[in-house]
Amino acid sequence: MVQIKERFNQISPSEFFYSNRDLAGFSNPTRSLYTAVRELVENSLDACDQKGILPNVHLMIKAVDPSKPDPRHYILTVKDNGPGVDADHIPLAFGTVLYGSKFGLKQARGMFGLGATMAILYGQITTNTPVVVHSSVDGKTQDRFEILLDIQKNKPVIVRHETREVSKVGLTVSICLEGDYSKAGSKIRDYVYETSLITPYATIKFDDPKGQSFSHPRFVKEIPPPPTIIRPHPHGVDVERIRRMIVESQFDIPVVNSAMISKICKDIGVKKDADFAKIMSRTAKKWKGLTRHVRIVLAMMSFMKMGFDAISRVRIEDIDVANGLISYWDFATSDTKSVPMSSDSPYYRQLANTVQGEQLAAFLTKRFQRVGASTAAKFSEFAGFKPEKRVGTLTNQELVGLSDSLQKYDAFMAPDSSCLAPLGAEPLEKGIAKFFEPDFSAVVQRPASAYSGFPFVVEMGIAYGGQIPSGGPHVYRFANRIPLLYDEGSDVVLKVVNDIDWARYKVKGDPPFVIVSHICSTRVPYKTAGKENVADRPEIERELRLALQYLSRKLAGYMSKRGQAEAAKKRANLYAKYVPMIAQFCTELAGRRKEPAYQKVLRNTSFENTLGAEGASASPSSSSLLQQSKAGERGAGSDHDDNGVSGNGQVQTDDAVPAGAPDIKGSTSDISVGEMKSFDDTGGTLISAPGDRKKAAVRRTATSSKKARSSKRAAQQRQQRQQQSRKGKKALVAATVKVRRQGRQGRQQQKNAGLHAGGSRRSPS
Amino acid sequence: MAGSTRRRAAKKPKVDAATKAKIKQKNILGELKGHGARIYDDLNRGRFPSFSIPSRSVNNIVFDDATRQYILGSASAMRSSHNSSQLRSFTQLMWLAFFANRLTKEKKSSTLRDVYYSSQAFAIEFENQSESDNIIVDLEAVTSRPREDFHIFPEERSTIFGDLSVEYTIPGYEGKTMNLSNHPDGYSIGPSLTTAELVDTSAEIVIAIEKGGLFTRFVEEQVDKKFKSIIVNTGGQAPRSTRTLLKRLHDEMGLPIIILTDGDVYGEHIAMVIKSGSANAAHLRELTVPDAKWVGVWATDIEKYKLPTIPMTESDIKRCHDLKSDPRYAYGIWRKELDVFLRLKRKAELEAFSKYGLTNITDKYLPQKLELAKSL
Repeated sequence: MVQIKERFNQISPSEFFYSNRDLAGFSNPTRSLYTAVRELVENSLDACDQKGILPNVHLMIKAVDPSKPDPRHYILTVKDNGPGVDADHIPLAFGTVLYGSKFGLKQARGMFGLGATMAILYGQITTNTPVVVHSSVDGKTQDRFEILLDIQKNKPVIVRHETREVSKVGLTVSICLEGDYSKAGSKIRDYVYETSLITPYATIKFDDPKGQSFSHPRFVKEIPPPPTIIRPHPHGVDVERIRRMIVESQFDIPVVNSAMISKICKDIGVKKDADFAKIMSRTAKKWKGLTRHVRIVLAMMSFMKMGFDAISRVRIEDIDVANGLISYWDFATSDTKSVPMSSDSPYYRQLANTVQGEQLAAFLTKRFQRVGASTAAKFSEFAGFKPEKRVGTLTNQELVGLSDSLQKYDAFMAPDSSCLAPLGAEPLEKGIAKFFEPDFSAVVQRPASAYSGFPFVVEMGIAYGGQIPSGGPHVYRFANRIPLLYDEGSDVVLKVVNDIDWARYKVKGDPPFVIVSHICSTRVPYKTAGKENVADRPEIERELRLALQYLSRKLAGYMSKRGQAEAAKKRANLYAKYVPMIAQFCTELAGRRKEPAYQKVLRNTSFENTLGAEGASASPSSSSLLQQSKAGERGAGSDHDDNGVSGNGQVQTDDAVPAGAPDIKGSTSDISVGEMKSFDDTGGTLISAPGDRKKAAVRRTATSSKKARSSKRAAQQRQQRQQQSRKGKKALVAATVKVRRQGRQGRQQQKNAGLHAGGSRRSPS
Repeated sequence: MAGSTRRRAAKKPKVDAATKAKIKQKNILGELKGHGARIYDDLNRGRFPSFSIPSRSVNNIVFDDATRQYILGSASAMRSSHNSSQLRSFTQLMWLAFFANRLTKEKKSSTLRDVYYSSQAFAIEFENQSESDNIIVDLEAVTSRPREDFHIFPEERSTIFGDLSVEYTIPGYEGKTMNLSNHPDGYSIGPSLTTAELVDTSAEIVIAIEKGGLFTRFVEEQVDKKFKSIIVNTGGQAPRSTRTLLKRLHDEMGLPIIILTDGDVYGEHIAMVIKSGSANAAHLRELTVPDAKWVGVWATDIEKYKLPTIPMTESDIKRCHDLKSDPRYAYGIWRKELDVFLRLKRKAELEAFSKYGLTNITDKYLPQKLELAKSL
């Protein structure tokens, strides 16, 4: 039997993603084209956000050979006015997988600098063409690179590099890749459309392969404040992360060069040629006023028994506290020597502390957010460590214990949200008004919350009526200002939306309404690297639910007012229709010739007329609103008053008794619907009608006064909003309208084509 | 027939039939006009007119021991044109009064379905016929008159046969008389017969029978002559015009009424409705014959005559239990037979007697039952 020796190879990150590209959203030509567009556009937007530049992003997709059928090769170009990338970094940034500037803890669209490189990698493996990058950092010279990736080594190969003069700052990335625009087109148009909704301060232009141009000019001139990079929250770290932080916390052993020696001489007041004894005696005197670096060097010198001259001819290699040795490389003899450190020496502690890192308390307060001196002390007690414990001396087991305790200790304050950059209620509302032209909209920004130590903020908007097509709720999902278009079925937002019983909020039938949800976090818990759906973390779900419930209540308020106005109008029409008929019939019945003067009766109903005419845009005072509600709710039942109760028209339909109209309660006394029964046609069996309406009416009465109070405020707010939206409409550019329509058509086409397993979007339920 | 004394209508009319009909019409028109004038005045004074309608809700339907039928209590409710949820049905009722006025004035007959379609000529919207039917019942309740008074007649027709002379009052036939034994298929009980004056008869009893097939057999076997009877086919549940005619035969001609139905719980209820009306028509008192007697087929007859039976269905049994809670079924044969039905869990039709020969029912069963009826 031949023994086969197993061979182990390390693969590079490039190679890993090359063989697992589905993970990053590059599974087929359709999806890949879409993902590539996304990654490059998001890179541009992120770059502009970081520097506070109002982004102008120009996306172009061109077929290499338009005569070929899809899937075919496309040249995808994204041009921005961002800060550009320094020429030195370009090869690494665009030619290495997992190289980037986004690892820090703050909100950004991309996370690992993986996406753009993946797009380049995908382009290269489908078309074997280098990526072309134009970058100008200073607005004077521009570097043009053609780069290929060496997949096995995860290293860039520069095919060509040129420099020329330009007048504008910015970055242009152009890749050639295989794609299927006929299928991906509608998604890409949706993506651009929705991106401009959630990035209202960006101007985005898109030239598609068919020669159509879609332009989304910015409609907000202020860029939201950029997020700051922050320290991690204790709940958000794991063992590995703590280990790295401890290493960072250990002090460097200073380099002993002539500058350092001059500084020491000055600090302790000796000359460079002072002998060892002199130096040490001066050190003992001046110790208290010395800086840490100076102390470390002097402490080492004390053990090595060297003057300045001697110590500059060696290189310190290690301070080994465990064995009490200092080892150094002697340039003169070219070998490693070591000297013992006596723990009795007053200088021993200085060196020991240096390599053992900070004390636990200091480590916690300095390296984590939300930890102060007292929290650190309490936590140390909770975790069973002494606050003075040097973090460098933690054993592996202790490290795991520390990490566990950090997770379990629940008295840390919630994470700092300054690293987040939510869009803000006002721009979001403007966006909704501009994109959907609704009759009603409301937005809410929840206070920051956190899951597993990662802060997040939920922003949400709701809009009803106007230009919104029926069949809602249409859900627009965003996370860190990225539209999420695929895989909505498994998304937490959809779950929350579907859990809502809309009938409770007076939304019935096939309602025209839209929900816009935006989750901002330092780490959005995507289910896959493709960034398409958000996992259902309970904390996030809760915030989404609260936001949606708040908005739903606002919507319900609007809906009931809308219903009241409609009902009042309907009611006025009823009188105008029926009273003349009554007059006509009774004239003949009474044997008269002239009709009675019924106009007076109609005038008595005209108070409803005026209210009805004002309709939803009116902002009636709370008292008249109450009246209106009384009239409206009763009128609403008018067309279907038989209720299956044997047409006994005198029956007061109890469920039409409005909240907050106590004078009406008397009317339930003549016949209680609750106990109403009727006879069937064949002559005798008793049938009971449902009997708890009365109770419901009473319950509603109890909540009425609250409603009346809040309605006035709501009406004022709505008026303000309407003024805003009117302004917004004026500023509307005709081209955008066109684009949006096309976007909708596109969505429809895509539904028909069944683009992706994700299926049809935005119609949950 | 000669030699037998012919009964005349109980209250000998002082005036002829035509005059009597005219007086009735005048009363009806007068009542409708009264409503019209009241509403006209209200509108003229800027007030919202309303109707007071006796409540037909279950709470207001009470069993009247004196008349042994369901009647409406004193509760009534307003239907006001001021209440926007009642405005529509108010207008419908208003229109119906107006339309009934025309029908009565012009002596045109109509049906429930007719009314439903007629409404569309006046832009009165009824969602369906049952909505318009309900408004018609409202008008009945307001005026305490059956809709037949307003020339709205039921669609179903039952038939009558026997020696009975009538005088028509409908337009074109005024003064014409007719004997109802001239046509063996029987005469259908429609508007003209319902409104006709009953003149005289040689019959001594009225036999109401549930089924057309048995009605024909009875005519063939000359039950009318053999037992001096008028035979009425109710065709299942007796239509209101038939019930009205039965009542008039009893009240005006002094004839006892006996009822023969299938031997099941529905048959028993058919008899009960003739006797004491339905809760549906509790607002009307003209439709019952409290003295009518149900003589068969009883549950006890099933055993007694060894009739072929079929098992009762679940709904039959449920119906039995429903009826047991009705106060009218609380005593006498009504209760007894229900209990037997529940015990047997079987039922028999009138045709079951054919097992013993086609004429068995008329030769054997009927005489026994007629004899029994005298003692009931």
